[in-house]
Amino acid sequence: MIANDLLKGTLRTIVLKLLADNGRMYGYEITKKVEELSTGKIKLTFGALYPVLHKLEADGHIATETEYIGKRIRKYYTLTDTGRSWTEQKVDEFFDFVNTLTYVLKPTPA
Amino acid sequence: MIAAVIDDNYDRIRSDLVRLGLTYDRLIDDMLDHVCCMVEEYMDQGRDFESSYNQVIDSIGEKTLPEIQHQTLLNLDKKFQRMKNFTYVFGLTSAIITIIGSLFKRMHWPGAGILITVGMMLIVFVFLPLYFITNHRAQPERKNPVYAIVGYLTIALLLVAAVFKIMHWPGAGYLVYSSIGFILIGFIPLYVVNAFQRSGKEKANLPYIVMLLVGIACVMLMGNVNMSKDLLDVYMEEALANELRVEEVQERTARLLEVAQDSAHANQLATIAQIHDQARDLQVMVNDMQEGMIAFVGQPGASINEVHPLDNKNAGREAILDNGAGSAFIREAKQFASMLDELVKDEVANNQIEDHLEFASLVWDFEHGWDGVRESPLMKNYFKNTDASKGIALAEYVAISYLLHH
Repeated sequence: MIANDLLKGTLRTIVLKLLADNGRMYGYEITKKVEELSTGKIKLTFGALYPVLHKLEADGHIATETEYIGKRIRKYYTLTDTGRSWTEQKVDEFFDFVNTLTYVLKPTPA
Repeated sequence: MIAAVIDDNYDRIRSDLVRLGLTYDRLIDDMLDHVCCMVEEYMDQGRDFESSYNQVIDSIGEKTLPEIQHQTLLNLDKKFQRMKNFTYVFGLTSAIITIIGSLFKRMHWPGAGILITVGMMLIVFVFLPLYFITNHRAQPERKNPVYAIVGYLTIALLLVAAVFKIMHWPGAGYLVYSSIGFILIGFIPLYVVNAFQRSGKEKANLPYIVMLLVGIACVMLMGNVNMSKDLLDVYMEEALANELRVEEVQERTARLLEVAQDSAHANQLATIAQIHDQARDLQVMVNDMQEGMIAFVGQPGASINEVHPLDNKNAGREAILDNGAGSAFIREAKQFASMLDELVKDEVANNQIEDHLEFASLVWDFEHGWDGVRESPLMKNYFKNTDASKGIALAEYVAISYLLHH
């Protein structure tokens, strides 16, 4: 299980990257996918997910399509064009960060 | 089949979510679908709707949904986000101004006072209110604003007191005491009550702990930063040595005065008496300031031995500055110096006298000027006075012996 405070800043990047790879997804699907990809190590709760999704939507990085499943509405989230390039940038930033951390935390012997 | 059961219960699930605290429609849509998916997963494993649904609803904590909604709405509130960013940028800017000001102050460059004052005032009147307001609004439940208000007042009062103290503005003392009082009777009790109320529920609020520590650090910085005991002891020894030397020199001067009484020096007698009188006046003034300092720390008539550990900075200010004794003394000492300068024509003797009366010139202002007196503990001010006293006694001796031998 990965500690919550380590995840905090990367949640947005994870969501964006999933949408980039899978096209359109709904909220529950995203939490399941994260659990599956991380072999259960990352538990993305709905409490953390929906505030982020709504923020990304308000900022224009993702858009929604609604479908009826019986009586209820299902909202599919997809990346917009700006969201797509932003995702690349965020993912690059993240790998940069991880590489830097690796240098810092595992210094190679001189 | 499963979908049909869930559809039958659609209205019930929706009203349950509303009952649990959701009001924002777009979030209700999300959560409704999410909850249904969770129920479907249990039902796929062969369980019935009731037990699946109850397990899902029970797993959602009482406060979870209002918290999610609050967080979502805050994320969407552009004005709030702008305010938050502005608060951080502003806090950083004011902190930098203040730190540059402290650097200037340390280096004795001009403009330090203005920088510190502007930086601190921006922190107190712009950054802190914004910080407390945004922080308060970011709380998921409406907390009692009294915590934020008392927290703000405490830290604001401390910072204002610090500025007054640094700028030597009148009233600094009252502000320091009232901010300490505010911490003791307002902030700490409230914080303790708050901590007890929330114990077990969640972790104690870190910002409040940090603020408490900052407050304590401020008070410690503002209180008399006591001189080390060793240094006080050195001043004490030097002061006592000076006093012994003054006595010794005065005895020798007394013998000179006896010599002056004989008829051979009749023409010098009036001048010598004038020098002696003025030196005595100056010594009286020094003594008055010293007694004033000792009396200020609450023990009139005590010896310096008894009071020297009472490292009180206000003693010097009160006995030397506030009543004008210090400036009167320096005025007199300067007259004494120029009188001796006129009477003593020998270069060597004149140089000696100048050295002894050095304190009457600019040197005293630099080393023991207004700020020096204000900033120094009792013992250092006392020592400086004994040093002046020694200088007067020696200058008097040199001048009188010169006159007797010429």
